[in-house]
Amino acid sequence: MIESGFISRWMVAGAVLGSLLPAAVVRADGLYVDQVYDPYVQPMEKEFEYLGVYPVDDNHELDGAQMHLLSAGMSLNDRWYAELGVEGEAGEAGAGFEWSAAEAEVKWQLTEQGEYAFDWGLLFELEVEREMHAREFSTSVIVLREWQRWVGTLNAGLVYEWGNDINNEWETQLASQLRYRWSRALEPALELYLAENSRSLGPVLTGRVRFGGGRSLRWETGVLLGLDGETPDTNWKLLLEYEFY
Amino acid sequence: MAKQVLWVLGVWLAGTAVAQAAPVVELEIRNHLFYPAELVVPANTKVKLLVINHDATPEEFESYELNREKVIMGNSKAVIFIGPLAPGEYPFFGEFNMNTAQGKVIAQ
Repeated sequence: MIESGFISRWMVAGAVLGSLLPAAVVRADGLYVDQVYDPYVQPMEKEFEYLGVYPVDDNHELDGAQMHLLSAGMSLNDRWYAELGVEGEAGEAGAGFEWSAAEAEVKWQLTEQGEYAFDWGLLFELEVEREMHAREFSTSVIVLREWQRWVGTLNAGLVYEWGNDINNEWETQLASQLRYRWSRALEPALELYLAENSRSLGPVLTGRVRFGGGRSLRWETGVLLGLDGETPDTNWKLLLEYEFY
Repeated sequence: MAKQVLWVLGVWLAGTAVAQAAPVVELEIRNHLFYPAELVVPANTKVKLLVINHDATPEEFESYELNREKVIMGNSKAVIFIGPLAPGEYPFFGEFNMNTAQGKVIAQ
């Protein structure tokens, strides 16, 4: 178990980072529509995941520029979870499908669920582009709070981009979700994503289907509406997570 | 100004996030059954559930009503914090042995 002093320090650091975010107004290149991570890790858990994003916009350069992410992950123990994935793109200015990047992520659960008023975790992500020399490493603080049937989650990330084909720079990004636990099969939510060239907000539906023996499928779909001229007007999202032990 | 307000809010959140001492209640798993199957806990109080799995195989404590899901490895212990709960009954089950491992938390 992690010492409470250590946890308090992380909580203060998270709160400070959270307080700085609005001033920094979140950045990170490209369309930023993802999933909002919870801070929990289950030992022995394994997972296959698909995330697809389909933007629709009057501007033909933004319209239909799909993103597809396939990944597989497993927990390393009761605190750490690791995942590897590949990202593909299609449809940008009429381009065909191609694998565009590889990703690795590691999640660290810092506190036990419900132990404190807020549940805390950290997420580390590394993305390597395939066709250009560009890398991105991000560290995100995950904060989750329950209010009876409501669950609020915040992922506040600090990103460093570097490479021969891009400018080396620090950026920030923010993803948040407010979810109502209506039933296991169906939970409505509202999600917000903020990054350098991308701001979107919209409704999401999520749910979980159990198959017994520890196997389940979590699904999530929704539409994120662009909040500025740089973000596509409409971004359809589909997330499928098959979990097993 | 907004930044200062957010700073104060952040520190306040961190301060209130320190855990209060929660009463400990034990729940055991033997032969894919929960003992006791009915767990009485105080209402409106956070409770520290100490789950002891005496079986050699892992079990997953799961309850949508309690919003908790936790794998307890074989011959191991795990802690699950629940509540504060309004008076009522909250069913739970073992995901790996759903036919036998069932129980409920009674908050009163």
